[in-house]
Amino acid sequence: MLKKIDDMNYYELLEVSYRATPQEIHKAYERVRKIYDPNSIALYSLFSPEETEKIRQRVEDAYRTLIYDENRRDYDRTLRDIPPLPETPQPELRYQQRPLAAPQRTPRMAEPTVPAAEPRAEEPQQQQVPAQPPMPAAAQPAPADITEFSGSVLKMMREQRGLSIRSVADTTKLSTRFIEGIEEENYKKLPARPYIRGFLVLYARTIGYESDRIVSDYMKRFDAAMNPPKK
Amino acid sequence: MIELQDALRKKEIWAIGGGKGGIGKSLITGNIGITLARLKKKVLLVDADLGGANLHTTLGIGVPEMTLSDFLNRRVENINDVIIKTSIPNLNLISGAQDFLDAANPNFAQKTRLLRHLETLDADYILLDLGAGTSFNILDFFLFSDHGILVVLPEPTAIENAYRFIKSAFYRRFKKVVANQNIKDLIDAAMDQKNTMGIRTPFDLIERVKSMEREVGEILELEVLKFRPKLVVNQVRTKNDVQIGFSMKSACQKYFGINLEYLGYVEYDDCVWQSIRSKRPLVIEYPYSRPARCIERIVHNLLRKEQMTLSMLY
Repeated sequence: MLKKIDDMNYYELLEVSYRATPQEIHKAYERVRKIYDPNSIALYSLFSPEETEKIRQRVEDAYRTLIYDENRRDYDRTLRDIPPLPETPQPELRYQQRPLAAPQRTPRMAEPTVPAAEPRAEEPQQQQVPAQPPMPAAAQPAPADITEFSGSVLKMMREQRGLSIRSVADTTKLSTRFIEGIEEENYKKLPARPYIRGFLVLYARTIGYESDRIVSDYMKRFDAAMNPPKK
Repeated sequence: MIELQDALRKKEIWAIGGGKGGIGKSLITGNIGITLARLKKKVLLVDADLGGANLHTTLGIGVPEMTLSDFLNRRVENINDVIIKTSIPNLNLISGAQDFLDAANPNFAQKTRLLRHLETLDADYILLDLGAGTSFNILDFFLFSDHGILVVLPEPTAIENAYRFIKSAFYRRFKKVVANQNIKDLIDAAMDQKNTMGIRTPFDLIERVKSMEREVGEILELEVLKFRPKLVVNQVRTKNDVQIGFSMKSACQKYFGINLEYLGYVEYDDCVWQSIRSKRPLVIEYPYSRPARCIERIVHNLLRKEQMTLSMLY
Protein backbone atom coordinates (compact mmCIF):
# COMPACT_ATOMS: atom_id res chain seq x y z
CA MET A 1 0.00 0.00 0.00
CA LEU A 2 1.30 3.38 -0.97
CA LYS A 3 0.73 5.97 1.66
CA LYS A 4 1.27 9.67 1.67
CA ILE A 5 3.03 11.02 4.68
CA ASP A 6 -0.14 12.81 5.82
CA ASP A 7 -2.07 9.54 5.72
CA MET A 8 0.44 7.57 7.77
CA ASN A 9 -0.66 6.68 11.24
CA TYR A 10 1.59 7.33 14.20
CA TYR A 11 3.07 3.86 14.14
CA GLU A 12 3.99 4.13 10.47
CA LEU A 13 5.38 7.59 11.04
CA LEU A 14 7.72 6.39 13.76
CA GLU A 15 8.41 3.17 11.84
CA VAL A 16 7.55 0.91 14.75
CA SER A 17 5.28 -2.10 14.97
CA TYR A 18 1.86 -1.93 16.57
CA ARG A 19 3.20 -4.01 19.43
CA ALA A 20 6.22 -1.80 20.10
CA THR A 21 7.20 -1.35 23.72
CA PRO A 22 7.61 2.16 25.16
CA GLN A 23 11.38 1.70 24.98
CA GLU A 24 11.19 0.89 21.28
CA ILE A 25 8.93 3.85 20.69
CA HIS A 26 11.30 6.13 22.51
CA LYS A 27 14.28 4.90 20.51
CA ALA A 28 12.39 5.23 17.25
CA TYR A 29 11.34 8.74 18.17
CA GLU A 30 14.90 9.81 18.88
CA ARG A 31 15.93 8.39 15.53
CA VAL A 32 13.12 9.85 13.47
CA ARG A 33 13.50 13.20 15.17
CA LYS A 34 17.14 13.25 14.14
CA ILE A 35 16.21 12.44 10.54
CA TYR A 36 13.76 15.32 10.32
CA ASP A 37 15.99 17.79 12.07
CA PRO A 38 16.18 21.05 10.11
CA ASN A 39 19.93 20.54 9.73
CA SER A 40 19.69 16.92 8.63
CA ILE A 41 21.46 16.55 5.30
CA ALA A 42 19.65 13.34 4.43
CA LEU A 43 16.58 15.41 3.58
CA TYR A 44 18.45 17.91 1.52
CA SER A 45 16.48 18.98 -1.58
CA LEU A 46 13.64 16.57 -0.82
CA PHE A 47 11.41 18.41 1.62
CA SER A 48 10.97 22.16 1.97
CA PRO A 49 11.58 23.68 5.43
CA GLU A 50 7.82 24.08 5.94
CA GLU A 51 7.21 20.43 5.10
CA THR A 52 9.99 19.33 7.42
CA GLU A 53 8.49 21.42 10.19
CA LYS A 54 5.10 19.84 9.60
CA ILE A 55 6.54 16.34 9.72
CA ARG A 56 8.43 17.21 12.90
CA GLN A 57 5.23 18.40 14.48
CA ARG A 58 3.50 15.16 13.57
CA VAL A 59 6.40 13.12 14.90
CA GLU A 60 6.14 15.00 18.20
CA ASP A 61 2.40 14.32 18.31
CA ALA A 62 2.99 10.68 17.53
CA TYR A 63 5.52 10.35 20.31
CA ARG A 64 3.36 12.13 22.87
CA THR A 65 0.44 9.91 21.96
CA LEU A 66 2.19 6.57 21.90
CA ILE A 67 4.49 6.99 24.87
CA TYR A 68 1.67 7.51 27.38
CA ASP A 69 -0.24 4.32 27.87
CA GLU A 70 -3.58 6.02 28.28
CA ASN A 71 -3.28 8.16 25.16
CA ARG A 72 -2.02 5.20 23.23
CA ARG A 73 -5.02 3.12 24.19
CA ASP A 74 -7.38 5.88 23.07
CA TYR A 75 -5.46 6.25 19.84
CA ASP A 76 -5.47 2.51 19.17
CA ARG A 77 -9.21 2.59 19.54
CA THR A 78 -9.55 5.26 16.85
CA LEU A 79 -7.28 3.20 14.61
CA ARG A 80 -9.48 0.16 14.87
CA ASP A 81 -12.34 2.12 13.36
CA ILE A 82 -10.34 2.50 10.19
CA PRO A 83 -10.73 -0.71 8.21
CA PRO A 84 -7.41 -1.17 6.35
CA LEU A 85 -5.14 -2.09 9.20
CA PRO A 86 -3.71 -5.50 8.53
CA GLU A 87 -1.23 -5.79 11.39
CA THR A 88 -3.46 -5.28 14.40
CA PRO A 89 -5.87 -8.22 14.12
CA GLN A 90 -3.07 -10.76 14.29
CA PRO A 91 -1.69 -9.87 17.71
CA GLU A 92 -5.24 -9.79 18.99
CA LEU A 93 -5.77 -13.33 17.88
CA ARG A 94 -2.65 -14.34 19.69
CA TYR A 95 -3.96 -12.71 22.86
CA GLN A 96 -7.05 -14.77 22.81
CA GLN A 97 -5.38 -18.04 22.17
CA ARG A 98 -2.94 -17.86 25.02
CA PRO A 99 -5.29 -17.66 28.03
CA LEU A 100 -6.89 -20.92 26.94
CA ALA A 101 -3.75 -22.76 27.86
CA ALA A 102 -2.77 -20.54 30.75
CA PRO A 103 -5.51 -21.31 33.32
CA GLN A 104 -4.76 -25.02 33.15
CA ARG A 105 -1.11 -24.44 33.69
CA THR A 106 -1.27 -21.94 36.54
CA PRO A 107 -2.70 -24.06 39.36
CA ARG A 108 -0.27 -26.86 38.64
CA MET A 109 2.70 -24.53 38.56
CA ALA A 110 1.56 -22.62 41.61
CA GLU A 111 0.65 -25.48 43.90
CA PRO A 112 4.00 -26.92 44.89
CA THR A 113 5.53 -23.58 45.88
CA VAL A 114 2.52 -21.78 47.25
CA PRO A 115 2.26 -21.79 51.02
CA ALA A 116 -1.00 -22.19 52.88
CA ALA A 117 -2.09 -18.62 52.35
CA GLU A 118 -2.10 -18.89 48.59
CA PRO A 119 -5.22 -20.73 47.40
CA ARG A 120 -7.25 -17.82 48.65
CA ALA A 121 -5.55 -15.52 46.21
CA GLU A 122 -5.51 -17.97 43.42
CA GLU A 123 -9.18 -18.68 42.89
CA PRO A 124 -10.32 -15.22 41.83
CA GLN A 125 -7.32 -15.03 39.54
CA GLN A 126 -8.43 -18.04 37.62
CA GLN A 127 -11.84 -16.61 36.95
CA GLN A 128 -10.34 -13.41 35.71
CA VAL A 129 -8.09 -14.95 33.17
CA PRO A 130 -10.29 -15.49 30.14
CA ALA A 131 -11.72 -12.00 30.42
CA GLN A 132 -8.49 -10.05 30.20
CA PRO A 133 -5.89 -10.23 27.45
CA PRO A 134 -2.43 -11.21 28.67
CA MET A 135 -0.88 -7.86 27.89
CA PRO A 136 -2.97 -4.69 28.12
CA ALA A 137 -1.78 -1.52 26.45
CA ALA A 138 -1.61 0.32 29.78
CA ALA A 139 -0.83 -0.79 33.30
CA GLN A 140 -3.87 -2.07 35.15
CA PRO A 141 -4.35 -1.62 38.85
CA ALA A 142 -3.16 -4.69 40.66
CA PRO A 143 -6.08 -7.13 41.07
CA ALA A 144 -8.02 -6.03 44.12
CA ASP A 145 -8.91 -9.57 45.15
CA ILE A 146 -5.28 -10.50 45.73
CA THR A 147 -4.27 -9.40 49.18
CA GLU A 148 -0.83 -10.89 49.38
CA PHE A 149 1.65 -10.40 46.57
CA SER A 150 4.13 -13.07 47.37
CA GLY A 151 6.82 -14.22 44.95
CA SER A 152 4.77 -17.14 43.76
CA VAL A 153 1.74 -14.93 43.14
CA LEU A 154 3.92 -12.62 41.06
CA LYS A 155 5.18 -15.61 39.14
CA MET A 156 1.62 -16.69 38.47
CA MET A 157 0.64 -13.22 37.32
CA ARG A 158 3.60 -13.19 34.99
CA GLU A 159 2.70 -16.55 33.51
CA GLN A 160 -0.84 -15.42 32.91
CA ARG A 161 0.55 -12.68 30.74
CA GLY A 162 2.35 -15.33 28.74
CA LEU A 163 5.74 -13.83 29.58
CA SER A 164 8.84 -15.87 30.25
CA ILE A 165 11.49 -14.94 32.79
CA ARG A 166 13.77 -14.26 29.85
CA SER A 167 11.39 -11.80 28.23
CA VAL A 168 10.80 -9.96 31.50
CA ALA A 169 14.56 -9.82 31.97
CA ASP A 170 14.96 -8.38 28.47
CA THR A 171 12.39 -5.67 29.00
CA THR A 172 13.46 -4.68 32.49
CA LYS A 173 17.17 -5.10 31.68
CA LEU A 174 17.47 -7.02 34.95
CA SER A 175 19.38 -10.25 35.25
CA THR A 176 17.25 -13.41 35.13
CA ARG A 177 18.88 -14.27 38.47
CA PHE A 178 17.16 -11.35 40.17
CA ILE A 179 13.81 -12.14 38.62
CA GLU A 180 14.07 -15.70 39.80
CA GLY A 181 15.12 -14.40 43.19
CA ILE A 182 12.05 -12.20 43.42
CA GLU A 183 9.72 -15.00 42.43
CA GLU A 184 11.33 -17.55 44.73
CA GLU A 185 11.56 -14.98 47.52
CA ASN A 186 15.16 -16.05 47.74
CA TYR A 187 16.43 -12.84 49.28
CA LYS A 188 20.03 -14.03 49.34
CA LYS A 189 20.03 -13.80 45.55
CA LEU A 190 18.87 -10.21 45.70
CA PRO A 191 20.78 -7.01 46.43
CA ALA A 192 19.99 -4.48 49.18
CA ARG A 193 16.45 -3.36 49.98
CA PRO A 194 16.23 -0.12 47.92
CA TYR A 195 17.34 -1.98 44.79
CA ILE A 196 14.69 -4.64 45.24
CA ARG A 197 12.12 -1.90 45.42
CA GLY A 198 13.23 -0.55 42.06
CA PHE A 199 13.29 -4.02 40.54
CA LEU A 200 9.75 -4.66 41.67
CA VAL A 201 8.48 -1.45 40.10
CA LEU A 202 10.01 -2.50 36.79
CA TYR A 203 8.74 -6.04 37.16
CA ALA A 204 5.19 -4.94 37.91
CA ARG A 205 5.12 -2.58 34.96
CA THR A 206 6.47 -5.20 32.64
CA ILE A 207 3.74 -7.64 33.51
CA GLY A 208 1.24 -4.83 33.01
CA TYR A 209 0.20 -3.87 36.52
CA GLU A 210 0.47 -0.71 38.53
CA SER A 211 3.33 -1.13 40.91
CA ASP A 212 2.37 0.62 44.16
CA ARG A 213 0.37 -2.09 45.91
CA ILE A 214 2.53 -4.92 44.61
CA VAL A 215 5.70 -3.21 45.78
CA SER A 216 4.51 -2.19 49.23
CA ASP A 217 3.04 -5.62 49.84
CA TYR A 218 6.10 -7.47 48.68
CA MET A 219 8.38 -5.20 50.70
CA LYS A 220 6.34 -5.93 53.81
CA ARG A 221 6.95 -9.62 53.26
CA PHE A 222 10.61 -8.90 52.67
CA ASP A 223 10.91 -6.92 55.89
CA ALA A 224 9.11 -9.61 57.83
CA ALA A 225 11.48 -12.25 56.55
CA MET A 226 14.66 -10.24 57.03
CA ASN A 227 13.84 -8.84 60.49
CA PRO A 228 11.86 -11.55 62.24
CA PRO A 229 10.05 -10.18 65.27
CA LYS A 230 12.18 -10.70 68.36
CA LYS A 231 10.79 -12.88 71.04
CA MET B 1 21.70 -20.72 -30.73
CA ILE B 2 24.67 -20.43 -28.43
CA GLU B 3 23.65 -16.91 -27.66
CA LEU B 4 20.19 -18.06 -26.68
CA GLN B 5 21.55 -20.65 -24.27
CA ASP B 6 23.78 -18.05 -22.71
CA ALA B 7 20.88 -15.73 -22.26
CA LEU B 8 18.86 -18.40 -20.50
CA ARG B 9 21.57 -18.94 -17.95
CA LYS B 10 20.86 -17.37 -14.64
CA LYS B 11 22.70 -14.14 -14.62
CA GLU B 12 22.40 -10.92 -12.75
CA ILE B 13 23.09 -7.46 -14.02
CA TRP B 14 23.98 -4.84 -11.44
CA ALA B 15 24.29 -1.17 -12.28
CA ILE B 16 26.21 1.22 -10.07
CA GLY B 17 25.26 4.87 -10.40
CA GLY B 18 24.67 7.87 -8.21
CA GLY B 19 24.20 11.09 -10.09
CA LYS B 20 27.23 12.95 -8.86
CA GLY B 21 30.74 12.56 -10.21
CA GLY B 22 33.73 11.58 -8.11
CA ILE B 23 31.84 9.71 -5.44
CA GLY B 24 33.59 6.40 -6.01
CA LYS B 25 31.29 4.61 -8.42
CA SER B 26 34.13 3.13 -10.47
CA LEU B 27 36.17 2.31 -7.40
CA ILE B 28 33.28 0.47 -5.78
CA THR B 29 32.33 -1.30 -9.01
CA GLY B 30 35.88 -2.50 -9.58
CA ASN B 31 36.36 -3.73 -6.06
CA ILE B 32 32.97 -5.41 -5.85
CA GLY B 33 33.90 -7.14 -9.10
CA ILE B 34 37.21 -8.38 -7.73
CA THR B 35 35.58 -9.57 -4.51
CA LEU B 36 32.96 -11.49 -6.48
CA ALA B 37 35.60 -12.99 -8.77
CA ARG B 38 37.50 -14.21 -5.73
CA LEU B 39 34.34 -15.99 -4.65
CA LYS B 40 34.69 -17.98 -7.89
CA LYS B 41 31.90 -16.14 -9.68
CA LYS B 42 32.32 -15.31 -13.32
CA VAL B 43 32.27 -11.53 -13.40
CA LEU B 44 32.16 -9.10 -16.28
CA LEU B 45 32.71 -5.45 -15.59
CA VAL B 46 31.31 -3.06 -18.17
CA ASP B 47 32.38 0.53 -18.16
CA ALA B 48 29.14 2.16 -19.20
CA ASP B 49 30.48 5.58 -18.38
CA LEU B 50 30.49 6.55 -22.02
CA GLY B 51 32.73 9.50 -22.52
CA GLY B 52 34.37 9.41 -19.10
CA ALA B 53 35.59 5.88 -18.83
CA ASN B 54 38.19 4.98 -16.25
CA LEU B 55 37.15 1.69 -14.75
CA HIS B 56 40.22 0.09 -16.32
CA THR B 57 42.44 2.44 -14.31
CA THR B 58 40.93 1.41 -10.99
CA LEU B 59 41.79 -2.15 -11.98
CA GLY B 60 45.33 -1.18 -12.87
CA ILE B 61 44.99 -1.84 -16.60
CA GLY B 62 46.45 0.61 -19.08
CA VAL B 63 44.50 2.07 -21.99
CA PRO B 64 42.97 -1.03 -23.56
CA GLU B 65 43.20 -1.84 -27.26
CA MET B 66 39.60 -2.89 -27.68
CA THR B 67 36.90 -0.74 -26.18
CA LEU B 68 33.18 -0.29 -26.28
CA SER B 69 33.59 2.31 -29.00
CA ASP B 70 34.81 -0.39 -31.39
CA PHE B 71 31.56 -2.15 -30.78
CA LEU B 72 29.38 0.95 -30.98
CA ASN B 73 31.09 1.98 -34.22
CA ARG B 74 30.62 -1.51 -35.60
CA ARG B 75 34.33 -1.97 -36.09
CA VAL B 76 33.60 -5.31 -34.42
CA GLU B 77 30.25 -7.02 -34.72
CA ASN B 78 30.33 -9.27 -31.70
CA ILE B 79 30.52 -7.75 -28.24
CA ASN B 80 32.54 -10.76 -27.08
CA ASP B 81 35.45 -9.44 -29.15
CA VAL B 82 35.85 -6.36 -26.97
CA ILE B 83 36.06 -8.31 -23.72
CA ILE B 84 39.50 -8.02 -22.11
CA LYS B 85 40.80 -10.61 -19.71
CA THR B 86 42.25 -9.17 -16.52
CA SER B 87 45.03 -10.62 -14.41
CA ILE B 88 42.45 -11.71 -11.86
CA PRO B 89 40.88 -15.09 -12.60
CA ASN B 90 37.16 -15.01 -13.45
CA LEU B 91 37.23 -11.25 -13.95
CA ASN B 92 36.75 -9.77 -17.42
CA LEU B 93 36.30 -6.21 -18.52
CA ILE B 94 34.66 -4.31 -21.31
CA SER B 95 36.41 -1.00 -21.26
CA GLY B 96 34.54 2.21 -21.93
CA ALA B 97 34.59 4.16 -25.11
CA GLN B 98 37.68 6.31 -25.36
CA ASP B 99 38.36 7.86 -28.62
CA PHE B 100 35.48 9.30 -30.49
CA LEU B 101 33.59 12.45 -29.80
CA ASP B 102 30.10 10.99 -30.01
CA ALA B 103 30.82 8.22 -27.54
CA ALA B 104 29.03 9.96 -24.72
CA ASN B 105 25.88 10.25 -26.78
CA PRO B 106 25.15 6.97 -28.51
CA ASN B 107 22.01 7.14 -30.56
CA PHE B 108 18.97 5.08 -29.82
CA ALA B 109 19.92 2.26 -32.18
CA GLN B 110 23.41 1.99 -30.72
CA LYS B 111 22.07 1.92 -27.20
CA THR B 112 19.48 -0.77 -27.86
CA ARG B 113 22.06 -2.86 -29.69
CA LEU B 114 24.39 -2.56 -26.70
CA LEU B 115 21.69 -3.53 -24.21
CA ARG B 116 20.61 -6.44 -26.40
CA HIS B 117 24.14 -7.76 -26.61
CA LEU B 118 24.75 -7.30 -22.90
CA GLU B 119 21.91 -9.68 -22.21
CA THR B 120 23.57 -12.43 -24.23
CA LEU B 121 26.94 -12.21 -22.52
CA ASP B 122 28.22 -15.17 -20.60
CA ALA B 123 28.83 -14.36 -16.93
CA ASP B 124 27.34 -14.89 -13.50
CA TYR B 125 27.39 -11.21 -12.75
CA ILE B 126 27.59 -8.27 -15.07
CA LEU B 127 28.45 -5.01 -13.34
CA LEU B 128 27.70 -1.79 -15.16
CA ASP B 129 29.67 1.22 -14.03
CA LEU B 130 27.50 4.21 -14.89
CA GLY B 131 28.63 7.74 -15.46
CA ALA B 132 27.64 10.84 -13.58
CA GLY B 133 24.51 12.82 -14.34
CA THR B 134 20.97 11.84 -15.14
CA SER B 135 21.03 11.63 -18.91
CA PHE B 136 18.60 9.21 -20.52
CA ASN B 137 21.36 6.79 -21.44
CA ILE B 138 22.49 6.46 -17.85
CA LEU B 139 18.94 6.13 -16.55
CA ASP B 140 18.20 3.47 -19.14
CA PHE B 141 21.21 1.41 -18.09
CA PHE B 142 20.13 1.76 -14.49
CA LEU B 143 16.56 0.67 -15.20
CA PHE B 144 17.75 -2.13 -17.46
CA SER B 145 19.71 -3.80 -14.65
CA ASP B 146 18.35 -6.32 -12.17
CA HIS B 147 19.74 -4.36 -9.25
CA GLY B 148 20.45 -0.66 -9.32
CA ILE B 149 22.97 0.47 -6.74
CA LEU B 150 23.29 4.13 -5.80
CA VAL B 151 26.47 5.53 -4.32
CA VAL B 152 26.35 8.67 -2.18
CA LEU B 153 28.74 10.57 0.01
CA PRO B 154 27.59 12.01 3.31
CA GLU B 155 27.48 15.46 1.73
CA PRO B 156 24.50 17.57 0.66
CA THR B 157 25.72 17.80 -2.94
CA ALA B 158 25.91 14.05 -3.41
CA ILE B 159 22.63 13.46 -1.61
CA GLU B 160 20.86 16.08 -3.68
CA ASN B 161 22.09 14.41 -6.86
CA ALA B 162 21.15 10.97 -5.59
CA TYR B 163 17.59 12.09 -4.99
CA ARG B 164 17.45 13.72 -8.38
CA PHE B 165 18.74 10.51 -9.88
CA ILE B 166 16.10 8.45 -8.10
CA LYS B 167 13.40 10.84 -9.19
CA SER B 168 14.54 10.89 -12.79
CA ALA B 169 14.88 7.13 -13.00
CA PHE B 170 11.53 6.77 -11.40
CA TYR B 171 9.71 9.11 -13.77
CA ARG B 172 11.47 7.63 -16.76
CA ARG B 173 10.23 4.24 -15.72
CA PHE B 174 6.74 5.68 -15.36
CA LYS B 175 6.90 7.06 -18.85
CA LYS B 176 7.88 3.68 -20.24
CA VAL B 177 4.88 1.89 -18.82
CA VAL B 178 2.23 4.37 -19.91
CA ALA B 179 1.10 4.66 -23.48
CA ASN B 180 -1.25 7.61 -23.19
CA GLN B 181 0.43 10.74 -24.50
CA ASN B 182 -1.49 13.01 -22.14
CA ILE B 183 -0.17 11.14 -19.13
CA LYS B 184 3.34 11.18 -20.59
CA ASP B 185 3.10 14.95 -20.85
CA LEU B 186 1.84 15.09 -17.29
CA ILE B 187 4.86 13.09 -16.07
CA ASP B 188 7.16 15.43 -17.96
CA ALA B 189 5.48 18.39 -16.35
CA ALA B 190 5.72 16.81 -12.92
CA MET B 191 9.50 16.50 -13.28
CA ASP B 192 9.61 20.26 -13.04
CA GLN B 193 9.60 20.97 -9.33
CA LYS B 194 7.98 24.37 -9.89
CA ASN B 195 5.12 23.07 -11.98
CA THR B 196 1.87 24.98 -11.82
CA MET B 197 -0.34 21.97 -11.20
CA GLY B 198 0.72 21.56 -7.60
CA ILE B 199 2.33 18.19 -8.18
CA ARG B 200 5.13 18.06 -5.63
CA THR B 201 5.67 14.40 -4.88
CA PRO B 202 5.17 11.13 -6.76
CA PHE B 203 2.05 10.62 -4.65
CA ASP B 204 0.51 13.78 -6.07
CA LEU B 205 1.37 12.57 -9.54
CA ILE B 206 -0.18 9.16 -9.05
CA GLU B 207 -3.30 10.72 -7.62
CA ARG B 208 -3.57 13.03 -10.61
CA VAL B 209 -3.06 10.14 -13.03
CA LYS B 210 -5.65 8.11 -11.18
CA SER B 211 -8.18 10.87 -11.59
CA MET B 212 -7.48 10.78 -15.31
CA GLU B 213 -7.28 7.02 -15.78
CA ARG B 214 -7.67 4.86 -12.77
CA GLU B 215 -6.01 1.73 -14.17
CA VAL B 216 -2.92 3.55 -15.30
CA GLY B 217 -2.58 5.05 -11.84
CA GLU B 218 -2.71 1.60 -10.32
CA ILE B 219 -0.04 0.36 -12.71
CA LEU B 220 2.16 3.24 -11.62
CA GLU B 221 1.55 2.36 -7.99
CA LEU B 222 2.77 -1.16 -8.69
CA GLU B 223 5.84 0.26 -10.39
CA VAL B 224 6.63 2.23 -7.27
CA LEU B 225 6.61 -0.93 -5.20
CA LYS B 226 8.77 -2.78 -7.72
CA PHE B 227 11.37 -0.03 -7.84
CA ARG B 228 13.86 -0.95 -5.13
CA PRO B 229 17.19 0.78 -5.63
CA LYS B 230 20.02 -0.02 -3.26
CA LEU B 231 22.21 2.41 -1.42
CA VAL B 232 25.91 2.51 -0.55
CA VAL B 233 27.30 5.39 1.50
CA ASN B 234 30.93 5.99 0.61
CA GLN B 235 33.62 7.86 2.56
CA VAL B 236 32.02 7.35 5.91
CA ARG B 237 33.95 9.01 8.73
CA THR B 238 31.63 8.94 11.74
CA LYS B 239 28.73 6.99 13.11
CA ASN B 240 26.44 9.83 12.05
CA ASP B 241 27.57 9.28 8.48
CA VAL B 242 26.53 5.63 8.73
CA GLN B 243 23.20 6.80 10.05
CA ILE B 244 22.64 8.86 6.91
CA GLY B 245 21.89 5.69 5.00
CA PHE B 246 19.03 4.88 7.35
CA SER B 247 17.83 8.46 7.23
CA MET B 248 17.76 8.43 3.44
CA LYS B 249 15.88 5.15 3.51
CA SER B 250 13.27 6.67 5.78
CA ALA B 251 13.04 9.88 3.76
CA CYS B 252 12.65 7.93 0.49
CA GLN B 253 9.90 5.84 2.00
CA LYS B 254 8.07 8.94 3.13
CA TYR B 255 8.67 11.11 0.10
CA PHE B 256 8.69 8.70 -2.86
CA GLY B 257 7.04 5.72 -1.24
CA ILE B 258 9.89 3.59 -2.53
CA ASN B 259 11.85 1.09 -0.58
CA LEU B 260 15.50 2.04 -0.67
CA GLU B 261 17.65 -0.85 0.51
CA TYR B 262 20.65 0.17 2.56
CA LEU B 263 23.36 -2.22 1.40
CA GLY B 264 26.23 -0.86 3.41
CA TYR B 265 28.88 1.80 3.69
CA VAL B 266 32.54 2.17 2.86
CA GLU B 267 34.72 3.80 5.47
CA TYR B 268 37.01 6.66 4.64
CA ASP B 269 40.65 5.68 4.75
CA ASP B 270 43.87 7.00 3.32
CA CYS B 271 44.58 3.61 1.80
CA VAL B 272 41.86 4.29 -0.78
CA TRP B 273 43.56 7.21 -2.45
CA GLN B 274 46.92 5.54 -2.01
CA SER B 275 45.69 2.49 -3.90
CA ILE B 276 44.31 4.70 -6.68
CA ARG B 277 47.60 6.58 -6.98
CA SER B 278 49.51 3.33 -7.18
CA LYS B 279 46.97 2.10 -9.79
CA ARG B 280 46.42 -1.11 -7.88
CA PRO B 281 42.93 -2.22 -6.80
CA LEU B 282 42.12 -1.54 -3.17
CA VAL B 283 41.05 -5.04 -2.19
CA ILE B 284 44.28 -6.44 -3.66
CA GLU B 285 46.68 -3.80 -2.36
CA TYR B 286 45.09 -3.49 1.11
CA PRO B 287 42.91 -6.57 1.56
CA TYR B 288 42.69 -6.20 5.33
CA SER B 289 41.94 -2.48 5.38
CA ARG B 290 38.63 -1.28 6.72
CA PRO B 291 37.26 -0.08 3.34
CA ALA B 292 38.08 -3.47 1.83
CA ARG B 293 36.19 -5.15 4.65
CA CYS B 294 33.25 -2.84 4.05
CA ILE B 295 33.20 -3.85 0.40
CA GLU B 296 33.19 -7.50 1.37
CA ARG B 297 30.19 -6.82 3.57
CA ILE B 298 28.38 -5.09 0.73
CA VAL B 299 29.01 -8.06 -1.56
CA HIS B 300 27.80 -10.36 1.16
CA ASN B 301 24.58 -8.36 1.51
CA LEU B 302 24.10 -8.33 -2.24
CA LEU B 303 24.52 -12.05 -2.62
CA ARG B 304 22.27 -12.85 0.29
CA LYS B 305 19.74 -10.18 -0.68
CA GLU B 306 20.10 -8.65 2.74
CA GLN B 307 20.49 -5.09 3.89
CA MET B 308 21.75 -3.13 6.85
CA THR B 309 19.59 -3.19 9.93
CA LEU B 310 19.48 -0.64 12.69
CA SER B 311 20.68 -3.13 15.26
CA MET B 312 24.08 -3.06 13.55
CA LEU B 313 24.44 0.49 14.77
CA TYR B 314 23.75 0.02 18.45
